[in-house]
Amino acid sequence: MSELQEFHDELRSVARELLATEPDWVQIVSAGWPGMEIAEQLDGAGASFAETAILLEEVGRAASRQPLFGIALAVGALPDTDPRLARIAAGARAAVAWGFTITDGKVSGRDEFALVAADAETVLLLTEDAVVIAPVVVTEQTVLDESRSLGIVVADGAPVTQSWPLPAGLRQRAEVAIACDSLGIAEAMLAQTVDYLKIRHQFGRAIGSFQAVKHACADMQVKISVARQLVSSAVAAIAAGRDAIAEAHMAKSYATEMAVEVAGKAMQLHGGIGYTWECDVHVYLKRAALNRALYGSPASHRESLARRFTA
Amino acid sequence: MTDEFRARVRAWCAEHIPADWRQSQTGVSEAEFAAFQKDWFQQLRGAGFAVPHWPAEWGGGMSVDQQVILYQELAAHDAPRLVLQFVSIHHAAATLLAAGTEEQRQRHLPAILDGEIWVQGFSEPEAGSDLASLRTTARRDGDHFVVNGQKLWASGGLHADWCLLLARTEPDAPKRKGISYFLMDMRSPGVDVRPIRNAIGESHFCEIFLVDVMIPEANLVGPENAGWQVAQETLGTERGMTMLELAERLGNAGFGWLVQECERAGAMNSRVRDRLAQFEIEITGLRGLCRSMVSGEANGPADASIVKLFYSELLQRMTDFGAEIAGPDAHTVLTKPMSSGWESGAWMLDFIGSWEWTIPGGASEIQRTIIAERGLGLPREPA
Repeated sequence: MSELQEFHDELRSVARELLATEPDWVQIVSAGWPGMEIAEQLDGAGASFAETAILLEEVGRAASRQPLFGIALAVGALPDTDPRLARIAAGARAAVAWGFTITDGKVSGRDEFALVAADAETVLLLTEDAVVIAPVVVTEQTVLDESRSLGIVVADGAPVTQSWPLPAGLRQRAEVAIACDSLGIAEAMLAQTVDYLKIRHQFGRAIGSFQAVKHACADMQVKISVARQLVSSAVAAIAAGRDAIAEAHMAKSYATEMAVEVAGKAMQLHGGIGYTWECDVHVYLKRAALNRALYGSPASHRESLARRFTA
Repeated sequence: MTDEFRARVRAWCAEHIPADWRQSQTGVSEAEFAAFQKDWFQQLRGAGFAVPHWPAEWGGGMSVDQQVILYQELAAHDAPRLVLQFVSIHHAAATLLAAGTEEQRQRHLPAILDGEIWVQGFSEPEAGSDLASLRTTARRDGDHFVVNGQKLWASGGLHADWCLLLARTEPDAPKRKGISYFLMDMRSPGVDVRPIRNAIGESHFCEIFLVDVMIPEANLVGPENAGWQVAQETLGTERGMTMLELAERLGNAGFGWLVQECERAGAMNSRVRDRLAQFEIEITGLRGLCRSMVSGEANGPADASIVKLFYSELLQRMTDFGAEIAGPDAHTVLTKPMSSGWESGAWMLDFIGSWEWTIPGGASEIQRTIIAERGLGLPREPA
């Protein structure tokens, strides 16, 4: 096993243990997660998106509210030497909001589903080609998925305080970050379902011994394996700074669609208990369905891919 | 480095792939097919492309990255497939390398490179998915075994020189504990091969009847009565190697033809584009799975089953879609070129032929059970 692989396994297992304790933000900050990709001279760990991706997946696996997504995007949007990065590494929460425009030095627009924005000290506004800092109004967006925080970010002719060119690949970073979350969701749901199927007995035997149930789990496993390949390949492209447009379309569309299927099947296989509020399967199913809806539907990503088929 | 290798493969393909092989191999006899395959194999061998997955000392030793490039380029240049040697270079070689004696390896690995053809004698009329219930017997008689029984679905049996044979050596033992693994010379007296016509009209499947066939004990692979374990171990290792090529073919030839077919039929509407994109995504995932299995990154107990299940069902869905798009025209293509493999562009025949992937080698239902039991640890069905 390579050294990097060992480091990743270690990071994954430490992250999983920490998230299982339902840590507060201070604990997350002292674990160094916000500064993962931030340069060492700005108090970060100087790692890459490959390590961020592991954390994002674990956050999804735990269906955690920790604002890693917003930070991963803000870190990607800020210039490498921006002093704000040191504040983020120290625990300042940040997020991005999409779909803004600049006219005569003033920024306008509205993002109704900005992940993490309601919890963030800094919200970076994104236009087609720029990152903008300006005074904005953020209100909480209430959605069925209670495991996360979203904001409605509004700017209406706000004066631009500062702006710089939009870094290439930020959209793909967002798409793949969501795909990582979905991959974590699906793995959690399969593991939880398999555990349940071993202890729940009907007709005098563990229900996991019934072939119809087993085969459903096998299909979940196959889809997760395929999704993992697509996500890994997209993560590697982004971490290496390569053009990841096609990889991101593939990962976002397949992983987010797959996670809804897997969580849905998990609810089915848990039976009546799986449909209760007390059982957390509904939390994962709602989170998976929100991931599928955010940052472009699977069909829209496939449509973008298919543009390459015709000359 | 990789660019240099790719350029070398491209140049070789341009020079060696017969331009008209699809036409000239359509409607040919079994003998002509076999001669063509043997010749093509020797051409690949001359370039070092015949057994890239073997260890270097036996004539292989190509890195996984280079193998991927080789298979991509062979597919992109529409090279003929190695059909006749499939069992020889994959199953037979994997078995000999993992469990054979040095003498057996020396005897057969160079011979395979020289053109020796192998067939798999596993399934029987009463032992399909439940392979361990096989009834062919091998009774010890001095330094020989005497074999009696019947084997089924032996692909390529008509041309085979040797057979990988599973037979029962201990009739009273529990069914998985009394089986031994043999190398059987197909020219032995008492071996009778009869072709079976399959659903697309071809006859490469065979029945093999065995009456008092003598096998020397030097041809036993692994310990006596440990044949089931030998077969289990070698089937898994062999799977990744075969799949690497199949996945690259599906991505670099099959998918390309599917896109062309959609354009030719004037069918490029949004629903069709959506299906094509989904296929491209799934093929990309499959190729990743195969690469990680061959490189050893993925070594879970059910990885081979995951890949086989996903590949075979993806092939079936893709060829089904090809047949749907091609419409009635696909039904007028009555034969496909020999050596063209699983996605020849004759969509109806490819679609029907795809069951040759979802049924043999452990049917999809068996694979799902393996994934659930060995991969996920779910309890076995009560006996």
